[in-house]
Amino acid sequence: MNKKTDVLVIGAGLSGMMAAARAAQSGKKVTLLTKGMGTLSLTSGCIDLWGYEVDNPKQPCGNPFTQIQKVVEQNPGHPYAKVYDVLKESLTFFQDICDKDGLTYRDNGGENWLLPTAVGTLRPTYLAPASMAVKDLNKVKQIVVAGFDELKDFYPEVLVTNLKKSKLLRPDCELTVAHLKSGWKKLYATSLAHRLEQPEGQQEAIRQLKPLIKPGAIVLFPPALGERRDIDVAGLISKGLGCSVYEVTNLPPALPGQRLQDLFLKYLKNQGVTVILSSTVTGAQVAGNRCSHVTAEGAGKTFTISAQTYILATGSFVGGGFDSKPGQIEETIFGLPINTGDGKWASGEFLSLKGHPFNRFGIDVNNRLQPVDGQSKVILENVLVTGANLSGSEFSIEKCGNGVALASGFKAGKLAGEVSR
Amino acid sequence: MATEKVQVVVVGGGATGTGILRDLAMRGISALLVEQGDLAHGTSSRFHGLLHSGGRYAVKDQEAAKECLEENMILRRIASDCVEPTGGLFAALPEDDPAYAEKWVKACAESGIKTEELNVKELLKKYPVLSPRITKAYSTPDAAVDGFRLLWSNVNSARRYGAKMVTYHKLSAVSRANGAITGVELTNTLNGEITSVECQMVINAAGAWAGEVATMAGLEIHMIKDKGTLLAFNHRLTNQVVNRLRPPGDADIFVPHGTITLLGTTSIAVEDPNCTKPSEIEVENMLNIGRETMPNIDNYRIIRAFAGVRPLYQANKGAGGRAVTRNFALIDHEQKDGLKGLVSIVGGKFTTYRLMAEKTVDLAAKKLGNNTPCRTAEEPLTQPVTSEMLERGKKVFGVPGYKKAAERLGDAYGKVVEKAEQDPSMRRMFCECELVSASEIDYVAKDGDSKTLSDIRRKTRMGMGTCQGIFCSYRTLGALGNNPQFTVGHREFITEFLQNRWRGIRPVLWGQQLRETQLSTGIFCSLFGMERMNDE
Repeated sequence: MNKKTDVLVIGAGLSGMMAAARAAQSGKKVTLLTKGMGTLSLTSGCIDLWGYEVDNPKQPCGNPFTQIQKVVEQNPGHPYAKVYDVLKESLTFFQDICDKDGLTYRDNGGENWLLPTAVGTLRPTYLAPASMAVKDLNKVKQIVVAGFDELKDFYPEVLVTNLKKSKLLRPDCELTVAHLKSGWKKLYATSLAHRLEQPEGQQEAIRQLKPLIKPGAIVLFPPALGERRDIDVAGLISKGLGCSVYEVTNLPPALPGQRLQDLFLKYLKNQGVTVILSSTVTGAQVAGNRCSHVTAEGAGKTFTISAQTYILATGSFVGGGFDSKPGQIEETIFGLPINTGDGKWASGEFLSLKGHPFNRFGIDVNNRLQPVDGQSKVILENVLVTGANLSGSEFSIEKCGNGVALASGFKAGKLAGEVSR
Repeated sequence: MATEKVQVVVVGGGATGTGILRDLAMRGISALLVEQGDLAHGTSSRFHGLLHSGGRYAVKDQEAAKECLEENMILRRIASDCVEPTGGLFAALPEDDPAYAEKWVKACAESGIKTEELNVKELLKKYPVLSPRITKAYSTPDAAVDGFRLLWSNVNSARRYGAKMVTYHKLSAVSRANGAITGVELTNTLNGEITSVECQMVINAAGAWAGEVATMAGLEIHMIKDKGTLLAFNHRLTNQVVNRLRPPGDADIFVPHGTITLLGTTSIAVEDPNCTKPSEIEVENMLNIGRETMPNIDNYRIIRAFAGVRPLYQANKGAGGRAVTRNFALIDHEQKDGLKGLVSIVGGKFTTYRLMAEKTVDLAAKKLGNNTPCRTAEEPLTQPVTSEMLERGKKVFGVPGYKKAAERLGDAYGKVVEKAEQDPSMRRMFCECELVSASEIDYVAKDGDSKTLSDIRRKTRMGMGTCQGIFCSYRTLGALGNNPQFTVGHREFITEFLQNRWRGIRPVLWGQQLRETQLSTGIFCSLFGMERMNDE
């Protein structure tokens, strides 16, 4: 079985879906092939661009663009240096797609948000879905943290213990722990989300919370306020309580990332993108410096796909784009060289501001996102590399993974759209 | 400053020390065991968990082989829930000297070790993971032992006889008057509090730290510290212990434990007994040798590497120490150095810990004028969990979690089941890899001996499975909200927990392990921002 397409995007993470969306906008026939469900459901659901000051990495930064500008000037090896030209454009493109679906992503007037997590830290992020965008945390008089006794992965006491230490809060801000009872034996984020989509589930939560709410309060929930995007669970509970209600970031599975994933897949299908799920690209046929087709497997079948442009959005190690053996790392489809810096893979300290070299490992590209060798020579001219596959950034420490994914995916889609048939 | 009074202070919470504590207590001698870290934090939890049949030593030292065999049989009897009687096999490859195999068969027979030649074809059919190049193979009565549980069983048994044990206390001074020990001073390593203990005798069972303890008493013992690194595979590669049939060397033993297999070990002289960092070179060398016995070993995921320091003792012939065998040595410092009330037990092997304890306490009891004979070989360490209690456990924890918990908890199982019966929220499984319930974590957190998350991890095995603790470390933090000692310093707890895991993961960071590590940096740093979290 042979398939033909203009643009083949491999991977359904943020960069892959952005690439597919942008290429489709140019009128290309786009196919998106993915092994799993993408990594968005493992993320916060917010869009981080850059978290801390370049010159003072402990200090959360205000405007992330100022910092990224510095990064681009100081470090030409950083992926932002390749895609900074389209960063703002890609954000607008992203926000438009979300807006059309009714899932509003808010910015904080050009400054980063500082949003609470389930462990009580405040994480800097640029865009947040309305259900997470806590406004004016520094003015809030009471924070009620709503946990469910039956839910394994959310502990209001842990959140309160640590959030209390934040200097951002009013000194007299009262932190209240609320233990809600669902009446269910076991509760998972998804089952809780389904329950809260029902009016009875919302009423039950409101009834138990109401006596604890004081004037000027906000309520923080685990990120499980509904799976569907057409029911505004946060808004409905907020209305019932008469105060603002938000979701905080937590361990996967978290619904905000899931909602974004669903939204994009739906959007892509509406744009005529062919989405092939549960399939793996097993090899590529290369002639000269071009890929002629790839071989894929899925549902027990082997097939080939040929395209003008191949977008490699396979998500580094986590996404399965890179594989490793002792002393050896390979890109699994095209065998592209991986820049491993000075050869050191990991840091001695697991948690530190240094992060880990393996997160910086990736494929070197030129400004057109084509993979290049050590002499800056293009290896495959019709393959474009995006997202976590790019070398040179430490997403977990710099908080730049989403920004790099958005901009590089957008740029790859745009470049693929410019290729003439 | 708190003060206490006992007859004997035992220094070192390893196999030997806990064995001594139990033996003393059973003979009616009041005793306190002092351990600087958590129980078994030294060598006794950092070995391959092999209960030797004696086969490994038969050619070189028949006396040691016989001791191993005898103790192996005793432990199967008294600690049946800590020993898995897997049996072992010794396999020779074409490059191994056939003359050694002949010598070995003869030496085993002379030592009383039952061996049986196996049909190689059938063996390969049973364990396809073994090399088709194997020329000869024999079965032996080797077994797998859970060192950590065995130590706790010893302490729990000793406590029932009135003995005391403190962890996280370091010996900080030894008092002596008129050529005799009069007491010791202990420093709590967590809060710096000092306790002074009056005693007539100190037994130095500090293993690789025995030299440090001797120095504190103004004496000298020269320990040779020998690091051995091990690899944990995420598969039960065979159901039996696999030894190479050749003179003992590196990486020639595979020991199955539950769902994993340990491959060990190396032998590298180190200066510092705390040097338990496995190196990438050691990992590589071990895999090279391991591949000879199991050629497809690279297809199996390694979940961690770890290392322990063997305390070897070179008996000083000029001194008055009474070498019990060439493998362990009991030093009577009254005879050797003229200091009354100090005895050191050094060298030896895990398998013979009980015998070492018996010999040590024989000497100590004699000095204290106690004639009670040793009974540690007769009385079981724990009572097996009753089938009635197992049934109740099944109802609250389900299959197969109830069994795993019973194996880990032994005597405490009943209490953990009861708690879960009363409070349904305690039935939740916090660690899905190792099937650890909220009730078990709560019990262990409150048992008085758990000071850090890592202590809970070692006792429950929470976070020891394939997920490497991403989810369960956070859950545990949440579940521990009711235990005041764990409510402060979340960053510190998580950092310590993760750093301990990281030490084991880093030398084997490839394949699936690297994928999951990247995911954990995403969760702990990107989602939670814990790298910048403050504890102040």
